[in-house]
Amino acid sequence: MEQNVWLIASAWMALALVASLISIRLGISVALIEILVGVVAGNFLSLHTTEWIDFLATFGAGLLTFLAGAEIDPDSLRRHLKPALAIGMAGFFAPFIGVFAVTYGLAHWELHAAWIAGISLSTTSVAVVYAVMVETGLNRTEIGKLILAACFINDLGTVLALGILFANWNVWLAVFVAVTAVVLWYLPRMTRLVIRRVGHRVSEPEVKFLFLVLFGLGGLARLAKSEAVLPAYLVGLVVAGVFMRDRVLMDRMRSIAFTLLTPFYFLKAGLYVSLPAVMTSAGLIALFLLTKMGTKVVGIWPLTRWFRFERREGTYTTLLMATGLTFGTISALFGLTNQIIDQTQYTMLVTAVIGSAVIPTLIAQRFFQPVVVPDGPAQSEALAHAERLATPPMRGVAK
Amino acid sequence: MFHKILIGLDGSETSEQALDHAMALAELTGAELHALSVEERLPVYAATVGEVMEEERYEHHYFDGVQARARTRAGERRLELRVEVVAGHAAHALVEKARTGGFDLIVIGHTGHSRLHHIFLGSTADRVVESAPCSVLVVHERRKVG
Repeated sequence: MEQNVWLIASAWMALALVASLISIRLGISVALIEILVGVVAGNFLSLHTTEWIDFLATFGAGLLTFLAGAEIDPDSLRRHLKPALAIGMAGFFAPFIGVFAVTYGLAHWELHAAWIAGISLSTTSVAVVYAVMVETGLNRTEIGKLILAACFINDLGTVLALGILFANWNVWLAVFVAVTAVVLWYLPRMTRLVIRRVGHRVSEPEVKFLFLVLFGLGGLARLAKSEAVLPAYLVGLVVAGVFMRDRVLMDRMRSIAFTLLTPFYFLKAGLYVSLPAVMTSAGLIALFLLTKMGTKVVGIWPLTRWFRFERREGTYTTLLMATGLTFGTISALFGLTNQIIDQTQYTMLVTAVIGSAVIPTLIAQRFFQPVVVPDGPAQSEALAHAERLATPPMRGVAK
Repeated sequence: MFHKILIGLDGSETSEQALDHAMALAELTGAELHALSVEERLPVYAATVGEVMEEERYEHHYFDGVQARARTRAGERRLELRVEVVAGHAAHALVEKARTGGFDLIVIGHTGHSRLHHIFLGSTADRVVESAPCSVLVVHERRKVG
Protein backbone atom coordinates (compact mmCIF):
# COMPACT_ATOMS: atom_id res chain seq x y z
CA MET A 1 0.00 0.00 0.00
CA GLU A 2 1.27 3.47 -0.86
CA GLN A 3 2.47 5.46 2.14
CA ASN A 4 0.25 8.36 3.13
CA VAL A 5 2.84 11.08 3.61
CA TRP A 6 0.38 13.47 5.24
CA LEU A 7 -0.74 10.98 7.87
CA ILE A 8 2.85 10.01 8.66
CA ALA A 9 3.79 13.68 8.94
CA SER A 10 0.79 14.37 11.18
CA ALA A 11 1.76 11.50 13.51
CA TRP A 12 5.31 12.85 13.86
CA MET A 13 4.13 16.42 14.29
CA ALA A 14 1.61 15.30 16.94
CA LEU A 15 4.49 13.75 18.90
CA ALA A 16 6.55 16.92 18.45
CA LEU A 17 3.62 19.01 19.72
CA VAL A 18 3.14 16.75 22.74
CA ALA A 19 6.86 17.08 23.48
CA SER A 20 6.66 20.88 23.26
CA LEU A 21 3.70 21.00 25.66
CA ILE A 22 5.40 18.69 28.17
CA SER A 23 8.59 20.71 27.85
CA ILE A 24 6.81 24.00 28.59
CA ARG A 25 4.94 22.43 31.51
CA LEU A 26 8.05 20.92 33.12
CA GLY A 27 10.56 23.62 32.18
CA ILE A 28 12.85 21.02 30.61
CA SER A 29 14.43 21.46 27.18
CA VAL A 30 12.25 20.29 24.31
CA ALA A 31 15.20 18.33 22.87
CA LEU A 32 15.37 15.99 25.85
CA ILE A 33 11.59 15.55 25.95
CA GLU A 34 11.51 14.81 22.19
CA ILE A 35 14.10 12.06 22.71
CA LEU A 36 12.02 10.58 25.54
CA VAL A 37 8.78 10.83 23.51
CA GLY A 38 10.68 9.12 20.67
CA VAL A 39 11.65 6.32 23.07
CA VAL A 40 7.99 5.79 23.99
CA ALA A 41 6.87 5.96 20.34
CA GLY A 42 9.53 3.50 19.23
CA ASN A 43 8.90 0.98 22.00
CA PHE A 44 5.11 1.17 22.35
CA LEU A 45 3.71 2.70 19.13
CA SER A 46 5.96 0.94 16.60
CA LEU A 47 6.77 4.26 14.93
CA HIS A 48 9.18 4.00 11.99
CA THR A 49 11.14 6.46 9.90
CA THR A 50 10.85 6.95 6.16
CA GLU A 51 13.38 8.23 3.64
CA TRP A 52 12.06 11.80 3.82
CA ILE A 53 11.93 11.75 7.62
CA ASP A 54 15.54 10.55 7.63
CA PHE A 55 16.47 13.52 5.45
CA LEU A 56 14.65 16.02 7.68
CA ALA A 57 16.30 14.46 10.75
CA THR A 58 19.76 14.59 9.15
CA PHE A 59 19.25 18.19 8.10
CA GLY A 60 17.99 18.95 11.62
CA ALA A 61 21.17 17.51 13.14
CA GLY A 62 23.28 19.52 10.69
CA LEU A 63 21.43 22.75 11.36
CA LEU A 64 21.62 22.17 15.10
CA THR A 65 25.38 21.69 14.79
CA PHE A 66 25.63 24.83 12.67
CA LEU A 67 23.69 26.84 15.28
CA ALA A 68 25.90 25.42 18.05
CA GLY A 69 29.00 26.63 16.18
CA ALA A 70 27.43 30.01 15.43
CA GLU A 71 26.65 30.63 19.09
CA ILE A 72 30.27 31.13 20.08
CA ASP A 73 31.43 34.61 21.01
CA PRO A 74 34.52 34.98 18.78
CA ASP A 75 35.99 37.82 20.88
CA SER A 76 35.66 35.78 24.04
CA LEU A 77 37.32 32.78 22.34
CA ARG A 78 40.21 34.96 21.13
CA ARG A 79 40.65 36.51 24.59
CA HIS A 80 40.84 33.16 26.37
CA LEU A 81 42.23 31.03 23.55
CA LYS A 82 45.09 29.33 25.39
CA PRO A 83 43.37 28.27 28.64
CA ALA A 84 40.22 27.42 26.67
CA LEU A 85 42.28 25.21 24.33
CA ALA A 86 43.97 23.47 27.26
CA ILE A 87 40.75 22.78 29.18
CA GLY A 88 38.72 22.02 26.03
CA MET A 89 41.24 19.54 24.65
CA ALA A 90 41.60 17.81 28.03
CA GLY A 91 37.81 17.72 28.17
CA PHE A 92 37.72 15.90 24.84
CA PHE A 93 40.72 13.57 25.00
CA ALA A 94 40.34 12.27 28.58
CA PRO A 95 36.81 10.81 28.15
CA PHE A 96 37.48 9.80 24.54
CA ILE A 97 40.44 7.67 25.60
CA GLY A 98 38.78 6.47 28.80
CA VAL A 99 35.48 5.41 27.24
CA PHE A 100 37.31 3.90 24.26
CA ALA A 101 39.43 1.83 26.65
CA VAL A 102 36.41 0.62 28.63
CA THR A 103 34.28 -0.28 25.59
CA TYR A 104 37.16 -1.84 23.61
CA GLY A 105 39.05 -3.49 26.46
CA LEU A 106 36.33 -4.37 28.96
CA ALA A 107 33.13 -4.61 26.93
CA HIS A 108 34.94 -6.08 23.88
CA TRP A 109 33.32 -3.81 21.32
CA GLU A 110 34.72 -3.66 17.78
CA LEU A 111 37.40 -1.00 17.24
CA HIS A 112 35.16 1.38 15.27
CA ALA A 113 32.25 0.85 17.65
CA ALA A 114 34.56 1.75 20.56
CA TRP A 115 35.60 4.91 18.68
CA ILE A 116 31.94 5.86 18.36
CA ALA A 117 31.48 5.26 22.10
CA GLY A 118 34.52 7.42 22.90
CA ILE A 119 33.29 10.23 20.64
CA SER A 120 29.68 10.08 21.91
CA LEU A 121 30.75 10.40 25.51
CA SER A 122 33.56 12.92 24.98
CA THR A 123 31.16 15.81 24.40
CA THR A 124 30.21 18.76 26.55
CA SER A 125 26.80 20.35 26.24
CA VAL A 126 27.49 24.06 25.81
CA ALA A 127 23.76 24.75 26.15
CA VAL A 128 23.45 22.86 29.45
CA VAL A 129 26.54 24.66 30.76
CA TYR A 130 25.18 28.02 29.63
CA ALA A 131 21.74 27.44 31.17
CA VAL A 132 23.26 26.52 34.52
CA MET A 133 25.62 29.50 34.37
CA VAL A 134 22.72 31.89 33.76
CA GLU A 135 21.25 30.75 37.06
CA THR A 136 24.45 31.56 38.95
CA GLY A 137 25.30 34.70 36.98
CA LEU A 138 28.60 33.04 35.99
CA ASN A 139 27.81 33.60 32.29
CA ARG A 140 28.39 37.34 32.76
CA THR A 141 31.89 36.86 34.19
CA GLU A 142 35.15 36.39 32.29
CA ILE A 143 35.72 33.02 34.00
CA GLY A 144 32.29 31.94 32.76
CA LYS A 145 33.16 33.04 29.23
CA LEU A 146 36.44 31.10 29.45
CA ILE A 147 34.50 27.97 30.47
CA LEU A 148 32.06 28.40 27.57
CA ALA A 149 34.97 28.86 25.14
CA ALA A 150 36.52 25.65 26.52
CA CYS A 151 33.22 23.84 25.93
CA PHE A 152 33.25 24.94 22.27
CA ILE A 153 36.81 23.63 21.87
CA ASN A 154 35.73 20.34 23.49
CA ASP A 155 32.86 19.96 21.00
CA LEU A 156 35.13 20.93 18.11
CA GLY A 157 37.28 17.94 19.11
CA THR A 158 34.19 15.72 19.01
CA VAL A 159 33.10 16.97 15.59
CA LEU A 160 36.62 16.71 14.16
CA ALA A 161 36.96 13.14 15.45
CA LEU A 162 33.62 12.18 13.94
CA GLY A 163 34.53 13.81 10.64
CA ILE A 164 38.08 12.46 10.39
CA LEU A 165 38.17 9.01 12.03
CA PHE A 166 35.60 7.48 9.70
CA ALA A 167 36.51 9.30 6.49
CA ASN A 168 37.93 7.50 3.46
CA TRP A 169 41.45 8.78 2.94
CA ASN A 170 41.14 9.22 -0.81
CA VAL A 171 40.84 11.95 -3.43
CA TRP A 172 37.33 12.87 -2.28
CA LEU A 173 38.61 13.67 1.20
CA ALA A 174 41.26 15.92 -0.33
CA VAL A 175 38.60 17.66 -2.44
CA PHE A 176 36.34 18.02 0.61
CA VAL A 177 39.14 19.49 2.75
CA ALA A 178 40.28 21.90 0.01
CA VAL A 179 36.79 23.14 -0.86
CA THR A 180 35.85 23.47 2.82
CA ALA A 181 38.99 25.49 3.54
CA VAL A 182 38.29 27.90 0.66
CA VAL A 183 34.60 28.25 1.56
CA LEU A 184 35.39 28.87 5.24
CA TRP A 185 37.92 31.54 4.29
CA TYR A 186 35.52 33.53 2.14
CA LEU A 187 32.25 32.74 3.91
CA PRO A 188 32.14 35.52 6.56
CA ARG A 189 32.58 38.29 3.98
CA MET A 190 30.26 36.54 1.49
CA THR A 191 27.57 36.23 4.17
CA ARG A 192 27.95 39.88 5.13
CA LEU A 193 27.73 40.83 1.43
CA VAL A 194 24.54 38.81 0.93
CA ILE A 195 22.97 40.35 4.03
CA ARG A 196 24.00 43.87 3.01
CA ARG A 197 22.77 43.56 -0.58
CA VAL A 198 19.61 41.45 -0.29
CA GLY A 199 19.21 40.61 3.39
CA HIS A 200 16.07 40.66 5.54
CA ARG A 201 13.58 40.32 2.67
CA VAL A 202 10.52 38.08 2.67
CA SER A 203 12.25 35.56 0.39
CA GLU A 204 15.10 35.15 2.98
CA PRO A 205 18.02 34.94 0.54
CA GLU A 206 20.62 34.96 3.34
CA VAL A 207 19.06 31.85 4.93
CA LYS A 208 18.95 30.11 1.55
CA PHE A 209 22.58 31.08 0.94
CA LEU A 210 23.67 29.46 4.21
CA PHE A 211 21.54 26.37 3.52
CA LEU A 212 23.20 26.10 0.09
CA VAL A 213 26.64 26.15 1.73
CA LEU A 214 25.57 23.56 4.33
CA PHE A 215 24.05 21.26 1.69
CA GLY A 216 27.04 21.60 -0.65
CA LEU A 217 29.68 20.91 2.00
CA GLY A 218 27.52 18.18 3.54
CA GLY A 219 27.32 16.51 0.13
CA LEU A 220 31.10 16.66 -0.31
CA ALA A 221 31.57 15.30 3.23
CA ARG A 222 29.31 12.37 2.36
CA LEU A 223 31.33 11.66 -0.82
CA ALA A 224 34.44 11.45 1.39
CA LYS A 225 32.52 9.14 3.78
CA SER A 226 32.91 11.87 6.39
CA GLU A 227 30.09 13.37 8.44
CA ALA A 228 28.06 16.44 7.40
CA VAL A 229 28.08 17.82 10.95
CA LEU A 230 31.82 18.57 10.64
CA PRO A 231 31.47 21.27 7.96
CA ALA A 232 28.23 22.46 9.59
CA TYR A 233 30.01 23.18 12.89
CA LEU A 234 32.95 24.85 11.13
CA VAL A 235 30.60 26.97 9.00
CA GLY A 236 28.82 28.01 12.20
CA LEU A 237 32.11 28.95 13.86
CA VAL A 238 33.28 31.17 10.99
CA VAL A 239 29.97 33.03 10.65
CA ALA A 240 29.54 33.40 14.44
CA GLY A 241 30.81 36.99 14.25
CA VAL A 242 28.16 37.83 11.63
CA PHE A 243 25.44 36.22 13.76
CA MET A 244 26.55 38.14 16.86
CA ARG A 245 25.59 41.34 15.05
CA ASP A 246 22.47 39.92 13.40
CA ARG A 247 20.37 38.23 16.08
CA VAL A 248 17.31 38.33 13.82
CA LEU A 249 18.97 35.98 11.33
CA MET A 250 19.94 33.65 14.19
CA ASP A 251 16.38 33.68 15.56
CA ARG A 252 14.91 32.90 12.13
CA MET A 253 17.23 29.98 11.56
CA ARG A 254 16.49 28.65 15.03
CA SER A 255 12.75 28.94 14.38
CA ILE A 256 13.11 26.93 11.18
CA ALA A 257 15.21 24.33 12.96
CA PHE A 258 13.04 23.95 16.05
CA THR A 259 9.72 23.95 14.19
CA LEU A 260 10.34 21.62 11.30
CA LEU A 261 13.70 19.89 11.53
CA THR A 262 15.06 19.14 15.01
CA PRO A 263 11.82 17.47 16.21
CA PHE A 264 12.36 14.83 13.53
CA TYR A 265 15.97 14.45 14.59
CA PHE A 266 15.39 14.12 18.34
CA LEU A 267 12.29 11.92 17.95
CA LYS A 268 14.30 9.68 15.64
CA ALA A 269 17.20 9.63 18.13
CA GLY A 270 14.80 8.32 20.78
CA LEU A 271 13.05 5.92 18.41
CA TYR A 272 15.98 3.49 18.29
CA VAL A 273 16.45 3.31 22.06
CA SER A 274 15.28 -0.15 23.08
CA LEU A 275 13.81 -0.24 26.60
CA PRO A 276 14.52 -3.98 27.05
CA ALA A 277 18.16 -3.24 26.13
CA VAL A 278 18.24 -0.46 28.75
CA MET A 279 17.14 -3.00 31.36
CA THR A 280 19.59 -5.71 30.36
CA SER A 281 22.52 -3.30 29.93
CA ALA A 282 21.91 -1.08 32.96
CA GLY A 283 25.25 -2.01 34.52
CA LEU A 284 27.26 -1.15 31.41
CA ILE A 285 25.32 2.09 30.93
CA ALA A 286 26.19 3.11 34.49
CA LEU A 287 29.82 2.12 33.87
CA PHE A 288 29.98 4.24 30.68
CA LEU A 289 28.45 7.21 32.46
CA LEU A 290 30.81 6.89 35.42
CA THR A 291 33.76 6.56 33.02
CA LYS A 292 32.75 9.73 31.24
CA MET A 293 32.36 11.67 34.48
CA GLY A 294 35.49 10.17 36.03
CA THR A 295 37.70 10.90 33.03
CA LYS A 296 36.35 14.44 32.77
CA VAL A 297 37.37 14.92 36.40
CA VAL A 298 40.82 13.47 35.75
CA GLY A 299 41.30 15.61 32.63
CA ILE A 300 39.76 18.92 33.64
CA TRP A 301 39.83 19.27 37.43
CA PRO A 302 43.64 19.46 37.76
CA LEU A 303 43.70 22.13 35.04
CA THR A 304 41.13 24.20 36.90
CA ARG A 305 43.36 24.03 39.98
CA TRP A 306 46.41 24.85 37.82
CA PHE A 307 44.55 27.90 36.55
CA ARG A 308 43.78 28.80 40.20
CA PHE A 309 40.04 28.36 40.08
CA GLU A 310 38.68 28.09 43.62
CA ARG A 311 38.23 24.43 44.62
CA ARG A 312 34.43 24.68 44.55
CA GLU A 313 34.44 26.62 41.27
CA GLY A 314 36.82 24.09 39.70
CA THR A 315 34.66 21.14 40.70
CA TYR A 316 31.58 22.97 39.44
CA THR A 317 33.28 23.70 36.09
CA THR A 318 34.46 20.09 35.78
CA LEU A 319 30.97 18.72 36.44
CA LEU A 320 29.39 21.12 33.96
CA MET A 321 31.89 20.04 31.33
CA ALA A 322 30.90 16.42 32.02
CA THR A 323 27.43 17.12 30.63
CA GLY A 324 26.42 16.16 27.11
CA LEU A 325 23.37 15.83 24.92
CA THR A 326 23.18 16.97 21.30
CA PHE A 327 26.58 15.96 19.95
CA GLY A 328 26.48 12.76 21.97
CA THR A 329 23.26 11.64 20.31
CA ILE A 330 24.45 12.85 16.88
CA SER A 331 27.61 10.74 17.19
CA ALA A 332 25.70 7.65 18.37
CA LEU A 333 23.11 8.01 15.60
CA PHE A 334 25.93 8.38 13.04
CA GLY A 335 27.30 5.05 14.31
CA LEU A 336 23.93 3.34 14.09
CA THR A 337 23.05 4.76 10.66
CA ASN A 338 26.39 3.65 9.24
CA GLN A 339 26.09 0.22 10.92
CA ILE A 340 29.19 0.79 13.03
CA ILE A 341 27.21 0.01 16.19
CA ASP A 342 24.05 -2.07 16.65
CA GLN A 343 20.81 -1.02 18.32
CA THR A 344 21.81 -2.36 21.74
CA GLN A 345 25.08 -0.44 21.67
CA TYR A 346 23.21 2.64 20.44
CA THR A 347 20.75 2.27 23.32
CA MET A 348 23.58 2.07 25.83
CA LEU A 349 25.33 5.15 24.44
CA VAL A 350 22.22 7.35 24.14
CA THR A 351 21.03 6.39 27.62
CA ALA A 352 24.46 7.23 29.03
CA VAL A 353 24.40 10.52 27.07
CA ILE A 354 21.00 11.43 28.54
CA GLY A 355 22.31 10.51 31.98
CA SER A 356 25.28 12.80 31.39
CA ALA A 357 22.94 15.70 30.65
CA VAL A 358 21.12 15.25 33.94
CA ILE A 359 23.35 13.75 36.64
CA PRO A 360 26.45 16.00 36.57
CA THR A 361 24.17 19.06 36.41
CA LEU A 362 22.21 17.95 39.46
CA ILE A 363 25.37 17.18 41.44
CA ALA A 364 26.96 20.50 40.42
CA GLN A 365 23.90 22.54 41.36
CA ARG A 366 23.16 20.67 44.55
CA PHE A 367 26.64 20.48 46.06
CA PHE A 368 29.06 22.81 44.25
CA GLN A 369 27.13 25.90 43.16
CA PRO A 370 29.56 28.80 43.60
CA VAL A 371 28.47 32.15 44.97
CA VAL A 372 29.29 34.51 42.13
CA VAL A 373 30.14 38.17 42.32
CA PRO A 374 30.40 39.18 38.64
CA ASP A 375 34.09 39.76 38.00
CA GLY A 376 35.02 40.26 41.62
CA PRO A 377 38.70 40.56 42.58
CA ALA A 378 39.14 36.81 43.21
CA GLN A 379 37.80 35.93 39.76
CA SER A 380 39.86 38.58 37.99
CA GLU A 381 42.95 37.30 39.75
CA ALA A 382 42.16 33.69 38.82
CA LEU A 383 41.57 34.69 35.22
CA ALA A 384 44.77 36.69 34.99
CA HIS A 385 46.63 33.75 36.47
CA ALA A 386 44.98 31.39 33.96
CA GLU A 387 46.12 33.57 31.07
CA ARG A 388 49.68 33.69 32.46
CA LEU A 389 49.83 29.95 32.94
CA ALA A 390 48.17 29.04 29.67
CA THR A 391 51.32 28.46 27.69
CA PRO A 392 53.09 25.83 29.86
CA PRO A 393 50.10 23.45 30.21
CA MET A 394 49.32 23.87 26.50
CA ARG A 395 52.61 22.25 25.66
CA GLY A 396 51.66 19.24 27.70
CA VAL A 397 48.06 18.95 26.65
CA ALA A 398 48.17 19.79 22.98
CA LYS A 399 50.66 17.13 21.96
CA MET B 1 8.87 46.53 63.86
CA PHE B 2 9.95 45.77 60.27
CA HIS B 3 12.51 47.88 58.42
CA LYS B 4 13.05 46.03 55.12
CA ILE B 5 10.43 43.80 53.52
CA LEU B 6 11.18 41.49 50.59
CA ILE B 7 8.30 40.29 48.40
CA GLY B 8 8.56 37.24 46.15
CA LEU B 9 6.77 38.34 42.99
CA ASP B 10 6.05 35.76 40.29
CA GLY B 11 2.84 37.11 38.78
CA SER B 12 0.65 34.44 40.39
CA GLU B 13 -2.59 35.28 42.21
CA THR B 14 -1.10 34.59 45.64
CA SER B 15 2.03 36.63 44.94
CA GLU B 16 -0.24 39.58 44.08
CA GLN B 17 -1.96 39.04 47.44
CA ALA B 18 1.46 38.85 49.10
CA LEU B 19 2.17 42.27 47.60
CA ASP B 20 -1.09 43.59 49.14
CA HIS B 21 -0.09 42.31 52.57
CA ALA B 22 3.43 43.68 52.26
CA MET B 23 2.14 47.11 51.23
CA ALA B 24 -0.27 47.13 54.18
CA LEU B 25 2.60 46.28 56.53
CA ALA B 26 4.83 48.93 54.97
CA GLU B 27 2.12 51.54 55.51
CA LEU B 28 1.91 50.53 59.16
CA THR B 29 5.64 50.32 59.87
CA GLY B 30 7.26 52.60 57.30
CA ALA B 31 9.44 49.71 56.10
CA GLU B 32 11.33 49.72 52.78
CA LEU B 33 9.66 47.56 50.12
CA HIS B 34 11.63 45.41 47.71
CA ALA B 35 10.30 42.87 45.20
CA LEU B 36 12.31 40.01 43.74
CA SER B 37 11.22 38.03 40.67
CA VAL B 38 13.09 34.86 39.79
CA GLU B 39 13.36 33.46 36.27
CA GLU B 40 13.16 29.73 36.86
CA ARG B 41 11.57 28.57 33.64
CA LEU B 42 14.83 28.58 31.67
CA PRO B 43 15.02 25.22 29.91
CA VAL B 44 17.10 22.68 31.76
CA TYR B 45 19.25 20.33 29.61
CA ALA B 46 18.85 22.56 26.53
CA ALA B 47 20.08 21.65 23.04
CA THR B 48 21.29 25.10 22.00
CA VAL B 49 22.44 28.23 23.80
CA GLY B 50 19.97 30.22 21.67
CA GLU B 51 17.10 28.21 23.13
CA VAL B 52 18.09 29.39 26.62
CA MET B 53 18.60 32.98 25.46
CA GLU B 54 15.20 33.10 23.80
CA GLU B 55 13.49 31.82 26.97
CA GLU B 56 15.49 34.37 28.95
CA ARG B 57 14.13 37.16 26.75
CA TYR B 58 10.59 35.81 27.16
CA GLU B 59 10.97 35.65 30.94
CA HIS B 60 12.40 39.19 31.09
CA HIS B 61 9.43 40.48 29.10
CA TYR B 62 6.99 38.65 31.38
CA PHE B 63 8.55 39.89 34.63
CA ASP B 64 8.94 43.43 33.29
CA GLY B 65 5.15 43.46 32.98
CA VAL B 66 4.61 41.90 36.42
CA GLN B 67 6.94 44.37 38.10
CA ALA B 68 5.60 47.40 36.24
CA ARG B 69 2.10 46.55 37.48
CA ALA B 70 3.40 46.06 41.03
CA ARG B 71 5.18 49.44 41.00
CA THR B 72 2.05 51.13 39.71
CA ARG B 73 0.00 49.60 42.53
CA ALA B 74 2.59 50.66 45.10
CA GLY B 75 2.69 54.13 43.58
CA GLU B 76 -1.08 54.42 43.95
CA ARG B 77 -0.56 53.94 47.71
CA ARG B 78 2.37 56.40 47.73
CA LEU B 79 4.86 53.63 48.45
CA GLU B 80 8.21 53.14 46.76
CA LEU B 81 8.79 49.60 45.50
CA ARG B 82 12.30 48.59 44.38
CA VAL B 83 12.27 45.69 41.95
CA GLU B 84 14.83 43.19 40.70
CA VAL B 85 14.83 40.14 38.41
CA VAL B 86 17.36 37.32 38.75
CA ALA B 87 17.66 33.84 37.23
CA GLY B 88 17.78 30.74 39.40
CA HIS B 89 15.66 28.84 41.88
CA ALA B 90 13.06 31.01 43.58
CA ALA B 91 13.61 29.79 47.14
CA HIS B 92 17.39 29.96 46.92
CA ALA B 93 17.33 33.42 45.34
CA LEU B 94 14.89 34.83 47.92
CA VAL B 95 16.85 33.47 50.86
CA GLU B 96 20.14 34.76 49.47
CA LYS B 97 18.65 38.18 48.77
CA ALA B 98 17.23 38.35 52.30
CA ARG B 99 20.57 37.28 53.76
CA THR B 100 22.75 39.70 51.78
CA GLY B 101 20.29 42.59 51.86
CA GLY B 102 19.63 42.59 55.59
CA PHE B 103 15.87 42.05 55.23
CA ASP B 104 13.80 41.36 58.34
CA LEU B 105 10.68 40.00 56.62
CA ILE B 106 9.98 37.97 53.48
CA VAL B 107 6.41 37.96 52.18
CA ILE B 108 5.51 35.27 49.65
CA GLY B 109 2.47 33.58 48.16
CA HIS B 110 1.91 29.95 49.05
CA THR B 111 1.86 28.69 45.46
CA GLY B 112 4.59 29.68 43.07
CA HIS B 113 5.51 28.11 39.77
CA SER B 114 8.47 25.90 40.63
CA ARG B 115 7.05 22.80 38.86
CA LEU B 116 9.66 20.01 38.96
CA HIS B 117 11.35 21.69 41.88
CA HIS B 118 8.00 21.74 43.62
CA ILE B 119 7.32 18.05 42.89
CA PHE B 120 10.68 16.81 44.13
CA LEU B 121 11.73 19.35 46.74
CA GLY B 122 8.52 20.88 48.07
CA SER B 123 7.01 24.29 47.43
CA THR B 124 9.02 27.49 47.23
CA ALA B 125 7.26 28.65 50.42
CA ASP B 126 8.29 25.49 52.30
CA ARG B 127 11.93 25.97 51.33
CA VAL B 128 11.98 29.68 52.13
CA VAL B 129 10.44 29.10 55.56
CA GLU B 130 13.02 26.40 56.23
CA SER B 131 16.09 28.41 55.22
CA ALA B 132 15.25 32.10 55.62
CA PRO B 133 17.46 34.22 57.91
CA CYS B 134 14.43 36.30 58.97
CA SER B 135 10.68 36.05 59.56
CA VAL B 136 8.54 34.81 56.68
CA LEU B 137 4.91 35.65 56.00
CA VAL B 138 3.29 33.05 53.73
CA VAL B 139 0.08 34.32 52.16
CA HIS B 140 -2.57 31.73 51.35
CA GLU B 141 -5.11 32.33 48.60
CA ARG B 142 -8.04 34.39 49.82
CA ARG B 143 -9.83 37.68 49.18
CA LYS B 144 -7.60 40.74 48.73
CA VAL B 145 -6.86 42.99 51.70
CA GLY B 146 -6.37 46.72 51.90
